[in-house]
Amino acid sequence: MKLKDLAKTVLSNLGRHKVRTALSAVGVTVGILTIVTMVSLGIGVQREVVQAFQSVGLETIEVRPVTEERTVFNQFADPQRTVIITPELVEELRARDDVVYARPHIVPGRGMRVYLAVGSETMEVRVGEPVWWDWMDDPFAEPPEIVVGEDLAADTQGQIVISSRTLKELGYDEFETLVGQEVALVLVTPRGDRQEFPLRLVGVVDTHTGTNYPGAYLNAADAAALKAWWYNDPDLLENDGYDSLSIKATSLNDAVQIVDLLEARGFRVETLKTTLDIANRALSIVQTMLGSIGGLALFVAAIGIANTMIMSVYERTREIGILKAVGASPGNIHLLFVVEAALIGLLGGIVGVIGGWLLGIGLNAGILAYFDYMDVPMRGTFFFVTGWLVALALGFAMVVGLLAGLYPAARAARLDPLEALRHG
Amino acid sequence: MDDVVVRTVGLARRYKMGDTFVDALQGVDLEIARGEFVALVGPSGSGKSTVLNLIGGLDRPTEGEIWIDGKELSADDEKALTRHRRQHVGFVFQGFNLLPRLTAEENVALPLMFGGVPEKERQTRARALLERVGLTERLTHRPTQLSGGEQQRVAIARALVGHPALLLADEPTGNLDTTTGVEIMHLLKELNQEQGLTLLVVTHDPEVAAFADRVVRLRDGQVDA
Repeated sequence: MKLKDLAKTVLSNLGRHKVRTALSAVGVTVGILTIVTMVSLGIGVQREVVQAFQSVGLETIEVRPVTEERTVFNQFADPQRTVIITPELVEELRARDDVVYARPHIVPGRGMRVYLAVGSETMEVRVGEPVWWDWMDDPFAEPPEIVVGEDLAADTQGQIVISSRTLKELGYDEFETLVGQEVALVLVTPRGDRQEFPLRLVGVVDTHTGTNYPGAYLNAADAAALKAWWYNDPDLLENDGYDSLSIKATSLNDAVQIVDLLEARGFRVETLKTTLDIANRALSIVQTMLGSIGGLALFVAAIGIANTMIMSVYERTREIGILKAVGASPGNIHLLFVVEAALIGLLGGIVGVIGGWLLGIGLNAGILAYFDYMDVPMRGTFFFVTGWLVALALGFAMVVGLLAGLYPAARAARLDPLEALRHG
Repeated sequence: MDDVVVRTVGLARRYKMGDTFVDALQGVDLEIARGEFVALVGPSGSGKSTVLNLIGGLDRPTEGEIWIDGKELSADDEKALTRHRRQHVGFVFQGFNLLPRLTAEENVALPLMFGGVPEKERQTRARALLERVGLTERLTHRPTQLSGGEQQRVAIARALVGHPALLLADEPTGNLDTTTGVEIMHLLKELNQEQGLTLLVVTHDPEVAAFADRVVRLRDGQVDA
């Protein structure tokens, strides 16, 4: 029996009972729809996370100083650092060929109150790291962008970038004229001592919907100067070092070597890759769990298809007898019924894939609308249907149908031709 | 080649009916020569149809041998039985047994589909045979659109499409009125005479049996000498 004849015969058989075929396929549709929607959610989220991580670079290494263990004797004091990130270490790393950059960071001191003075206006601000660093904390957020002027030049001193939101709150709407002007950050201690740090405004940054962004951005050297005054410790960098250090290696392999080097010196080192691996593993587990729900639906669908096919064999007993009398082999009959069942599965699968894809688009739009409404700075495609997901879902749907058809087909193939001819 | 198309030796068939056994056939020896038209007659339950079904490979004998064209038909080999039905015999049933959703042409071409014959050739052969049985105008009609006589002609064309050595007909006029029945028998007789087709027709109707070259009578599962 030729493939073309097989296809024609099977389609004609299925076409005879369109409603029944459709109803049997509905179960598969529901199962595949669930699987496609859930797995596409997993893929989408994973993709967004990976993209966000990759835009920062998997070769990025995060180094932190090591502090002494807390004991009964030092529990109320700031813990002393035992391994510190010195300016010399930063220079040493920058001298290496396999290092693209090494950027030290300073976290503002505890209880430190910082005021921003622009012209005659003053307001309290939160001072943060350079723009690119903050964005990394929230991989789903739209990255902040410099709207006027430029970003802080690396390793310079005396520069500041201010967010457009802060400037507006201070009453400025025209940013162009402000860039290049001198502004000041003012520190005030609880006792009333104050110190002014003059800085030149080099750029204005728009942080979009993100509300948790700092209002002003400084390079580490200026941040260190603020902190040194606050703690009254002019040798702050020599004593405590930087609070953290971001290193970008030229490649992932180089990153691994640098990690080994720093770990050997006693630093606590984190790479984005290890974080990404953990995130990936967690997402895979979620994906598997969600996929299983669809699997259960498919199991029920398989029973439905098997039932349909058994009924079909019963109804067509006489026809099977005729086919055998004119020369159809048991193999031919078996194939006819198995392919019929597989096709029911495939039909259900096609509708399910399309449905799952559309549902994903709908849900994505809904989620984004909700984020907008809630002012959550998150964008992206959270339901992502890939080619392999489509192929796998369709293949799976077909296999479910095929397996469901095996028993009915075997029954049909085994029928005694004479008894079948006498039937009905 | 042997000029005997069918030879049965001590053919027996025993059916189990509940706790008892019924001997439908008890040692039937039968020989049909090539080109012969044989009528198998006998009262109901004499085992006529059983002989036909055994020779046609639809049923398996409890005992005895069946030789077709000088080769023994092995009852244990499903593949051999399928091949036998596909290549050596053609069936004509009392109830026509056409597939209702296929056209006359498709019904006739159906056996060739399982033989893997290309579609073009299937079409040509089916049309030629439908023309031979006088149904040129009915190619695209479905069984429900055809009269009883026309349906039986389609069935005869289907039985002949695989060029079988032997045509087996089980009460071919049983569902037809007398005039149509006679027409069908004339057609079978013509095919027998023109093409040298070997025919084994089971009937209880003496008028049908009268068309045959030779009449074999069965009684209680045995050939009535």
